[in-house]
Amino acid sequence: MLALNRIHATRIVATPSALDSAQWPDDRLVFRIAADEALITPPMANAVVSDPYAIVVADSGFAGAWLPMEEALPLLEHACEWELPRERPAFAQGSVAGIPAKLWIEKDRVLLIVPAPFVADFEERMA
Amino acid sequence: MRLIVDGQPIEFDAGDSALIAMLRAGIHPTGGGCLCLGGDCPHCLATVDGVSYTRTCETPARPGMIVERHPREGYPPLPLNNPAAAEEVKARNVHCDVAVIGAGDSGKAAAEEAERSGKRVITLDAKRGQEVVGVYPGPLVVARTPDGMLHVHPREEIIIATGAAEIQPVAPGNDLAGIVTARAASQLAAVGVPLGRVVAVGARPENAEATVADGQLIRFEGNGKVEAVIVRGADGNEKRIECDTVSVGLGLSPRDVLLRMGSGLAIRAVGNAAREPELPACPTSGVVCSCSGVTADDLQRVWDSGFRELELVKRATLAGTGPCQGSVCVPHIRSFLKERGGELQAPFTARPANRQPTLGEVAAGAHHRATPRTALDAEHRRLGARMDRIGGWWRPWNYGDTRAEYWAVREAVSIGDVSTLGKMIVSGPDALELLERLYPTQVSTIAPGRSRYVLLLDERGYVLDDGLICCDGASRYGLTFTSGGSSFAEMWVRDWAETWNLDVRILNQTMSLGAINVTGPLSKELLARAGFTRPMRHMEHTMATVAGVECRIFRLSFTGELSFELHHPAEQSAELWRSLMALGTDLGIKPHGIQTLLQLRLEKGHVIVGQDTDFDSTPRRIDMEWAVRLDKADFVGRQAVLRTNKAPLDKQLVGLEMDAPAPVEGAVIWRGSEYAGYVTSSAQSHALGKAVMLGWVKLFDGVLPTELTIDGRAARRVSLPFYDKEGRRARA
Repeated sequence: MLALNRIHATRIVATPSALDSAQWPDDRLVFRIAADEALITPPMANAVVSDPYAIVVADSGFAGAWLPMEEALPLLEHACEWELPRERPAFAQGSVAGIPAKLWIEKDRVLLIVPAPFVADFEERMA
Repeated sequence: MRLIVDGQPIEFDAGDSALIAMLRAGIHPTGGGCLCLGGDCPHCLATVDGVSYTRTCETPARPGMIVERHPREGYPPLPLNNPAAAEEVKARNVHCDVAVIGAGDSGKAAAEEAERSGKRVITLDAKRGQEVVGVYPGPLVVARTPDGMLHVHPREEIIIATGAAEIQPVAPGNDLAGIVTARAASQLAAVGVPLGRVVAVGARPENAEATVADGQLIRFEGNGKVEAVIVRGADGNEKRIECDTVSVGLGLSPRDVLLRMGSGLAIRAVGNAAREPELPACPTSGVVCSCSGVTADDLQRVWDSGFRELELVKRATLAGTGPCQGSVCVPHIRSFLKERGGELQAPFTARPANRQPTLGEVAAGAHHRATPRTALDAEHRRLGARMDRIGGWWRPWNYGDTRAEYWAVREAVSIGDVSTLGKMIVSGPDALELLERLYPTQVSTIAPGRSRYVLLLDERGYVLDDGLICCDGASRYGLTFTSGGSSFAEMWVRDWAETWNLDVRILNQTMSLGAINVTGPLSKELLARAGFTRPMRHMEHTMATVAGVECRIFRLSFTGELSFELHHPAEQSAELWRSLMALGTDLGIKPHGIQTLLQLRLEKGHVIVGQDTDFDSTPRRIDMEWAVRLDKADFVGRQAVLRTNKAPLDKQLVGLEMDAPAPVEGAVIWRGSEYAGYVTSSAQSHALGKAVMLGWVKLFDGVLPTELTIDGRAARRVSLPFYDKEGRRARA
């Protein structure tokens, strides 16, 4: 049974160039969820980007779960109409089981992320 | 081994299809019509194990299978209590470059050629149990398999290699039983189905004894079952040949239904599916389309009515709109139109599905729109809330005692979950410029730490949404929107920012932040117990810790009472909610649901955009011109507001009151015997002891009527708000 937990993250909205040039610590996962937005987990206490107007906030609005690849692929085959990227690691976004989702795909595992308000529906649909 | 047909067990042999089993027993699945045994015609359709429109020629017989023949007139009954149709069916998605449908010689060759050029190929073959039911834009090929539905997503191309179908006869009596195509006759003979005396019209069957009837097919004769076939010989004379079975070999037509379904997609046919059809003789009599019961006479009628194009003939007669999607009738209708008009027209498009899927199969892989839940969802359910979908979210409608909820707000303290409100941050050197252009208020006069209620208008000056602008500094603002309007509002703000090429950053925090409304005369006391004692003016906002949770606190009021909205990280919502409930026990705290909130705000005359407003609601019509600064240089909708303000006011959203009971929302408002408008919000006010309403009322000769009738009872237009007209309680 898939069980998602809230993801503690830092969310940054800044100019694309500021995000492009930012240096992120190696121990964080940094997802570029839009040209002007990054989601960093675990959160960074002092995230800095070269944009004085950047919006930098702590965020727990997403929930996620790591799944081993052998469990994730059959689930996604049923729930995901779009083709997963073939390179590893890869970040992808799109509808999964009808819910806006983000996927961080590593060699042996996948991190499934959805907005926390959709967790109940997502878990039910992926069961 | 036996299966059941219309309640009677019949024997079948190993390897039989349901159709062959029925034919062995002398049963025609639909009572009559030429059988093809190739899945092309509709003449073997029956209800199998509760699933109607099943092609029995492609359905392997099994012991206990229940076959019910469709009625000859009308339709099979809806499967209302059919567990098979209600079963959940899974869908599996597979991706490729090229999808090949059909694994015969041409299909194999096409697949190999594509693979040689490095393409990823998926071949679907009905003989392997992969029955394609439709080709859709995407492109998407949907196939039924023993393991559920297969959704194939080819990037580049769909190749149809489905071969050719036999042309069926159109002549009087072609709806009799005992008529089969030449291929079907061969198959039946091969499996030992007794055919009796066989007469072959056209090409003869390969391995069945048959008398060849030379000449042009004129008609079939018989009573339910064919007894003779009439042909006209080269000498011009008709010849009657008695028989038990007629084998018809009139040539081949491409099996192109999937190709015709993929119109506009990267799709092509190969092999026999791409062949030129052997055009049959122009039909003069008999059934052309047995799916829709269209005869040659019907074709003539629509021709005489002026329909000349194949697509229009299809629409006028409904030929080709049934289960086989023109597999049988297309060659004949093309022949008819060529004979009449002299031009061979392209076949008409086909529509999914090519094989009739169950509702479960149609729904496989599809999901209804998910409804988000706030971080307090479990709290509401634990408290016994009746949950409902409101404003696009699951929200508590009430907690069982709306009167207690109401009085807790009016006389004590109450908390409500308003996490669903749209919440956005706009930052950047052009943030103020963006908001000045978007909103009809003077944004520059909102001081840091202050908030203002605002309307959001579209270019036509109609109200799109409402909410707050909260100033956090010269280049940073917080915006709120209604629960139901926040997704659209985000698109609206982003779209305009991009259109105007403004330098702003936008973050939607709706799903990240929880929000709890603390409301009631004792709300300040409750917050003091939770550690927040800083004085706040009405429409002020500040950051502070409440019960250990960092909050942005807004002082505002939707209920008409002293209120504070606590925006906070959603993950701490439950913690904050429980703390407030515990701290307020002796203050009489109760949670309130949406039902109570709607009543409270109605007593204050607060409008709910989307409920009280309509698609053409201007600020003037909702009597909120005070929220629009027309002396601003410009904003979205300004020109339209200026223009519409010059027109006479024709209707207005007004306050109405009457004796109990409160009429239903939507009730018609009358002025005497004249229609005057309708009620948009209605509730029985506990505090005021009467029904209070908002409603649209027409002006009569430029005047809003005061005395009205609703539900046959007297109602009166009154000024808003109904409750606490001076606003002392909210500003206490």
